[in-house]
Amino acid sequence: MIDPSTSSAPGRMAPLPKWLKLSLCALGFAFLLALPRLCPQSYTMGVMCRIFMYALLAGSLNVINGYSGQFNIGHAGFYCVGAYCEAILATKLGLSFWIALPLAGVAAMLVGCIVAVPTLRLRGTYLAIVTLGASEIIRLIALNWDDFTGGPNGIKGIPAPLLGSFKISKAVDYYYIFLALAILFFFLTARVINSRVGRAWMSIREDEAAARSLGVEASRYKAANFMYGAFWAGIAGGAFAPYFKYISSDMFSLDEGFNILSMVIIGGQGTLIGPVVGAVIVNFLTEVLRPVSQYRSVAYAILIIVMMWVRPQGLVGASNSVLAERRLGRHRGKATHGGAK
Amino acid sequence: MDYYLSQLINGICQGSIYALMAIGFSVVFGVVGLVTFTHGEVIMIGAFAAFYAFELVGTNLLIGIVASFAASAMIGVFVYKVCYERFLDAPEYISLICTIGVSMLLKSLAQIIFGPNNKPMLDVVPNHFFGWGVVGITLIQIIVIATVAMVSALLYFFLNRTRWGIMLRAVSQDRKAAALMGINVKRMILTGNCIGCGLGGVAGMLLAVYYQTLVATMGGSAGMKAFAAAVLGGLSDVPCAALGGLLLGIIENLGITFSSASFRDIFAFVFLLIVLLIKPEGFAHKKGARA
Repeated sequence: MIDPSTSSAPGRMAPLPKWLKLSLCALGFAFLLALPRLCPQSYTMGVMCRIFMYALLAGSLNVINGYSGQFNIGHAGFYCVGAYCEAILATKLGLSFWIALPLAGVAAMLVGCIVAVPTLRLRGTYLAIVTLGASEIIRLIALNWDDFTGGPNGIKGIPAPLLGSFKISKAVDYYYIFLALAILFFFLTARVINSRVGRAWMSIREDEAAARSLGVEASRYKAANFMYGAFWAGIAGGAFAPYFKYISSDMFSLDEGFNILSMVIIGGQGTLIGPVVGAVIVNFLTEVLRPVSQYRSVAYAILIIVMMWVRPQGLVGASNSVLAERRLGRHRGKATHGGAK
Repeated sequence: MDYYLSQLINGICQGSIYALMAIGFSVVFGVVGLVTFTHGEVIMIGAFAAFYAFELVGTNLLIGIVASFAASAMIGVFVYKVCYERFLDAPEYISLICTIGVSMLLKSLAQIIFGPNNKPMLDVVPNHFFGWGVVGITLIQIIVIATVAMVSALLYFFLNRTRWGIMLRAVSQDRKAAALMGINVKRMILTGNCIGCGLGGVAGMLLAVYYQTLVATMGGSAGMKAFAAAVLGGLSDVPCAALGGLLLGIIENLGITFSSASFRDIFAFVFLLIVLLIKPEGFAHKKGARA
């Protein structure tokens, strides 16, 4: 899953020869396919499933934050919409997982549209607060709309998806579904990023006024970008609702959104592989810190701050990325202007 | 009718707390030039500082005000050192992400130190009720409104009549020009940030006294409301932010008469969206909100 992303973001990473890229892809893919055979313990599989889920979530957030320069910090809200949508469709209407999953994505996308459109013409920080608020509001609606979402009890007994007559219930089975989803996501996103649309997003991130003057319809592309990210968050939520079997509103708190954000930042915004690295690191930390779980968010918070101080482009971000460059510019500015802006 | 009238009084009282939070928020925004995500946590710290001051020293409201202001202003120094000092000329989202990190840090540390559960606030104000028939006002409400009015008047005096206040306003209007006039910009940003945070802390104390409870996670919705109210003032206009806070409190309380009280926080958000749709630059015409 790591590998499709090596073909991402032209000019951002050291170019690898094509045969090396392809063979790395093939190697990584083979390894991921064989992993359930190599270590079939349900613990490992559970951790891998979580990593895939967060890679999906962080990857979709990265499309918004990293590629178009918008600032979404309430990604947990869209994740919540997707999870509840799948759970309600599956338990109340008895829809099959394979129909409910895209519907969950579409529902999250629509919510994303409602959130993004009023703030399109505004400065990025407005969007940030609106997304933060939206995430909390979505959680509150899930908590209080008793008849529909089960209120504080959540939704129990979400049915396992059926593949033909085969019931997907073990972590190993889910592993393959999530692997497939993650590969689909990273493949599609890599294609989008390298297309006209992706270039429009990046031009908006670099300089919105310049992009507009060159004929990029900034608001439309920003809305599309936000909806694309929200769609995949919804898919992640929809895929994980049956895996957890039970969802409740406290799984989608603001902290969850900050978790996802910290993965994107630690890994590196604006690189396809960054969120995956971030998801691996943060999940690894989660497992290491399991005995002292209340210090977990302290550790994430300190990691975020240290990252911003030391390496704002993230672990994977190239040293020639926009973030690093502008930071160097700051140092030069400091030397000549004495610090005051 | 009486019901609506008493809801209106509740709304004005809560609105005045929101107004104080929004004033703090817009003072910070004015000098730093950036939205801060730490304001909710600053409010929470103020509430806890007042709680422990009441417990250790005595239940005097003035002690609470001083303690919460001082504690939150100290947090303001911390926030400045971590998030702003090094990044004044860097791209703004570095500072933004730093404030998110600090907010996470403060919230999770508070959950560890103060415990994750709700704490009952001590009785600072005796429970009096002044009524005309069904409609009435409690002593707590009067004291909350009076405290907010007093603190706002002090701030108004500080900003308009003292040398430091004028320097502060100069920095928030134009940092470069202020530096050329010989103002120590960094020190003024630090001062402004501390004052804004301190005001947030006092608001936190009032919130805890008014609701008789405080919890380490109270910052989330409080910070959101401070922002929603400050948007009305174009984020940096202090009187308009106060007005926005009052309006927000009234809307919330009238809103829950039509629906259930558990939807209270939703009104702040809907209010924010409507303001952003209709008049994104707020009532004030200073800094445009548009990109």
